[in-house]
Amino acid sequence: MDLYESNRKEAKQLLLLATLAGKIMLKNGAETYRVEDTIERLCRSRKNIKYADAFVTPTGIFLSLEYQGEMMTYLVRVKSIKIDLNKIDLVNEFSREFVNSHMPIEEGLQKLKKINKMKIYNGLIKASFGSLACAFFSILFGGTFLDFISSYIVSFIVLMTIDKINKHKMTFFINNFIGATLASVLSLFTIHIGIGQNMDIIIIGSIMCLVPGVAVTNAMRDTMSGDFVSGLSRGMEAVFSALAIAFGVGMVLNIYFKGLIR
Amino acid sequence: MNIIKQFLFSFLSTIGFAVLFNIPNDSISKSGIAGALGWVIFYITSRYLNNIAGTFFAATTVGILGELLARHYKKPATIYTIPGIIPLVPGAGMYYTMLALIDNDFVLAANKGTETFFIAVAISMGIIVSTFLSRSIKRVKYKN
Repeated sequence: MDLYESNRKEAKQLLLLATLAGKIMLKNGAETYRVEDTIERLCRSRKNIKYADAFVTPTGIFLSLEYQGEMMTYLVRVKSIKIDLNKIDLVNEFSREFVNSHMPIEEGLQKLKKINKMKIYNGLIKASFGSLACAFFSILFGGTFLDFISSYIVSFIVLMTIDKINKHKMTFFINNFIGATLASVLSLFTIHIGIGQNMDIIIIGSIMCLVPGVAVTNAMRDTMSGDFVSGLSRGMEAVFSALAIAFGVGMVLNIYFKGLIR
Repeated sequence: MNIIKQFLFSFLSTIGFAVLFNIPNDSISKSGIAGALGWVIFYITSRYLNNIAGTFFAATTVGILGELLARHYKKPATIYTIPGIIPLVPGAGMYYTMLALIDNDFVLAANKGTETFFIAVAISMGIIVSTFLSRSIKRVKYKN
């Protein structure tokens, strides 16, 4: 009887471990099939669990497993989505290690919690490299050296601001809207004080750090693997991010061209 | 000469996006090369065909390279694909559509908007083709 109890506790912990792994992956922008696959592999790696099935959407994880005729179900709601591809890779490696070894579940949970807290680059490095990307993109579009510099400054400020806003857990729509508005206002400002030369190129370069590339990629990969619910909702995310950026830029340019700012 | 310049700048640009999305240290340069090759393909094909076809070929190239790298280094494919896809996303199309709408030039807006939409479709098609190729290779390997 004692043996049964401890094993049952272990099965419950395994449930927690698998959902935690899935939550970390989903929160940081993994595709749906990868999350489902990882969760099921983690569950089936232990002996007396015959059946395990997961249903994952971008906003939640449902998992049930059978332990000696008893069904256990757990569901987690996933709210904020931010992009951290390093964590996906780490959880992927962790699951491979966990499945192929006899790692105690307690130790696995500790490892996962460590992965969840990890930060590979801090905000300053991310913002400076991200703005470097935008600045080089503006050169690809035919910008001059001065455009490069002003695009770098504008997108650096935009990325730092978004990093600050993100701490208050706003929705992605507000984030993108504020980012695009700020980018176009600052671009107009750089033109005004004479650093920037081509307004179009600076604005296009600066909004590149906001475009929904991850959402587009994941939407298509989800749809192709048969997860239509996730594919549709990620597609909606992409559409609305693009709309938010367009509204932000459009609002500022409208005010500027109608002559309200001089 | 021009192509080398484009390759270099898009390589640096892709590296920047890779850091922005927290890609692990050892994969940054590989994803940069995938993205830069994709951009060069876009640069060449969009000259002879049009932007939409160019984007399709570029996205397919980035996708296939990403799948191959993912298989070789045993990492998720999105690590290599996403930074390369970002420069292809039609930010410029969105901007010009908005600009035309503000000018009340609805014909130009429809023109640019349609092109933007189809560039987005082309990216999706490119990702679909590359994912499909990798899936079918996997399936054939499982059967044998």
